[in-house]
Amino acid sequence: MTGPNRRAVLRGGAAAASLASGALTAPALLAQTKSPYAGTTINASCFQTTFFEYLKNYFPQFEEKTGIKVAFSMQAFPVYNQRTDLELSTKGSALDVVNATFIYTGRWIGAGWLTNLDTFTKDPKMTPADWAPEDFVAGTQSAMQNAKGETFAFSWEGGAMIQAAARYDLIEKAGLAMPTTFDELIKVCDATHGKEGVAAFTADKLHHWNWIPYLMGMGGGVFRAPPENLTPTLNTPQAAQSGEWYANLLMKYGPDGLLSYSDDQAMRSQMSGRANIRTQSITWMVPLAKHAESTVQKTVRYGLMPAGPAGNFSGCNSHGLGIPAGSKKKEAAWEFIKWALSKETLAMVVKDHGYPSVCRLSVINSPEFKNVLTLNGQDVASLYLEVLKLGGKTGYMKYRTVPVYPQVGDKINKAIERIATKQQAAPEALKQAQAEAIQDLQKAGIKVDT
Amino acid sequence: MIPERSASFARQQHRFFAFCVAPSLAALALITLLPALYLLATSFTQLSLTRPETQWDFSQPLESYRQLLSDSRLHNSVWVQVKLSFWTVLLQLLIGLLLALLLNMRTRLIEALRTVFLIPMVLPPIVVAIIWKVIYTPDISPMHGIFRALGWNVPALITDPDWALTSIIIADTWEWFPFTMLMVLAALQMMPQELLDAAKVDGASPWQLTRHITLPFIRGVLLVAGLFRLIDSIKAFPLIFILTDGGPGSLTEVTNYYSYLQAFNFSYLGFSSAITVALLAATIVLSWVIVRAVGWGTKID
Repeated sequence: MTGPNRRAVLRGGAAAASLASGALTAPALLAQTKSPYAGTTINASCFQTTFFEYLKNYFPQFEEKTGIKVAFSMQAFPVYNQRTDLELSTKGSALDVVNATFIYTGRWIGAGWLTNLDTFTKDPKMTPADWAPEDFVAGTQSAMQNAKGETFAFSWEGGAMIQAAARYDLIEKAGLAMPTTFDELIKVCDATHGKEGVAAFTADKLHHWNWIPYLMGMGGGVFRAPPENLTPTLNTPQAAQSGEWYANLLMKYGPDGLLSYSDDQAMRSQMSGRANIRTQSITWMVPLAKHAESTVQKTVRYGLMPAGPAGNFSGCNSHGLGIPAGSKKKEAAWEFIKWALSKETLAMVVKDHGYPSVCRLSVINSPEFKNVLTLNGQDVASLYLEVLKLGGKTGYMKYRTVPVYPQVGDKINKAIERIATKQQAAPEALKQAQAEAIQDLQKAGIKVDT
Repeated sequence: MIPERSASFARQQHRFFAFCVAPSLAALALITLLPALYLLATSFTQLSLTRPETQWDFSQPLESYRQLLSDSRLHNSVWVQVKLSFWTVLLQLLIGLLLALLLNMRTRLIEALRTVFLIPMVLPPIVVAIIWKVIYTPDISPMHGIFRALGWNVPALITDPDWALTSIIIADTWEWFPFTMLMVLAALQMMPQELLDAAKVDGASPWQLTRHITLPFIRGVLLVAGLFRLIDSIKAFPLIFILTDGGPGSLTEVTNYYSYLQAFNFSYLGFSSAITVALLAATIVLSWVIVRAVGWGTKID
């Protein structure tokens, strides 16, 4: 018997190696060829946010699983809204997945610019039962639905307005505690403003978001009965009183130049320990305890937004992912949304990055979420959930989802600036805002009470 | 015979020129004329992006123009525009002229300085806006740092109602005075030396030289520079967008910024088009009046 010669051994080795490599690559290839979307590229867009910065890290997993490539772009908040508003209005197909911005949801859904996602969630071939659309917090989903209850987006962020004191030690030193009412807030600001060079209060310039909880807390409102009756109610005595009170809060206790602060600037003023209290969405508050550059990690404390004489109306909003009506790749787009907002993906983002604003109850109630949002011994996760439930309970946030809110919000911003800089007294400034808002609503074809 | 052949040649030449220019004219019409016509047509509708039925609805063609008359915020924006244009054009002409007169001296140091002075103009407008945002934000501003060190309590200029528009005027002047300076300097360098020499021989003082020789010589250039700056000032946008957002209140809200808000924040394209058409007409009329009033320059004997 003759043994195998060198050539035969080499030939056999090469064959074995090619078989082995074939076997190793086979599952991936099979998976890709199995997917009906292999080779598809979808275009997605959102405003600049940490959630999608984090999520981008996991895109390769999605691409490997489905064969769909995601071209994701992010812009500054106003730029994103303007571009998307324009793109959706033309029913173009440039975008396949968009962020449904809270203040635009009424406009985009009402005008038929977004796809009804019920067609996907109710089809077992498109969506497995365990994806569980009902797992999303009802309060965050209400803005993503029309009057018939049809769903046009699923929320990825719940903006629950809470209160954070970056230098709680100053409040303690003054013998006080976290303010729970408007009066207590003023008392705390009076006692701590200027101590160690720290301004007592800070805010960004989006007054049509920040001021409204104070307006409602004093018994006022933006519209008479939104979304049915959109007659503005900015010329009421309650609005004037609240406008004066809020402008005073900003100018007396805020850092110099506060009226020009963006979201990020306001957060930085707290992170650097130059300003103490802010009432804003949790997304802007958690970095005070978690961000590597924060100098107030040890001194920050959280609380519910203070309540006014009429109650607690903490701002609560949500942003969701939807599919433009003009998209030509709706099914691939749904695959992306399904993956991005699945329990598994969200749990991963929470676990790996400590993201605080997810909207799935199963994730919010998980020990990991509680763990991530236990900040300086405080259970901030409970505060978050409490605000989301509060918003869903009485529907007081409906004012913000009406199609004309951008116009009315602009009038509110201008009025608060005029009051704060003493160009006008509160009643006149808000009377002017009321008149301008009515003029704009009529331009939009909306009937108002006369 | 010869004149006929010559006329035929001229006609052929004409046709050839027309043939050569036609593609450019067609492209120009496509790029500028069509959008302008669309703008004009839209201004006669009440087009709102959220109400598709308003597109091409000419049932109330003058409604947007009627609204222009009753919109007090628009009227305020026109007044803000007038103040901004007046002060920026005036300051840019004055500073540009003074620096050009200084830089016209031929020394090495001054030649080096010329380049430095041009920097603001060649920076992208958004970068200029960000530079001034830093300067005007008290927390991070070197200017406010110096004021604090000197013990002066200077408020944040862009949020102070007494200073907001002035702060925009300062930033805009800084950005664009080099344009005037450059144009005047170019004119000065083309000025015949004999004119000055002759005046000197006649015993003219430096002030008389400037007043009676230099200024009349560069009058036309100053007018052109002023017109360019006036038209550009009406288009002021990045500084206002980044620095003040039109605020506090509406103190720095100029007309084109208001038009932008109407179109892109509120989707009122019909109304915004009407504002733009009115603004365009006003700019053309204003330019014509200025040119007629000042003339294009004077010849010097």
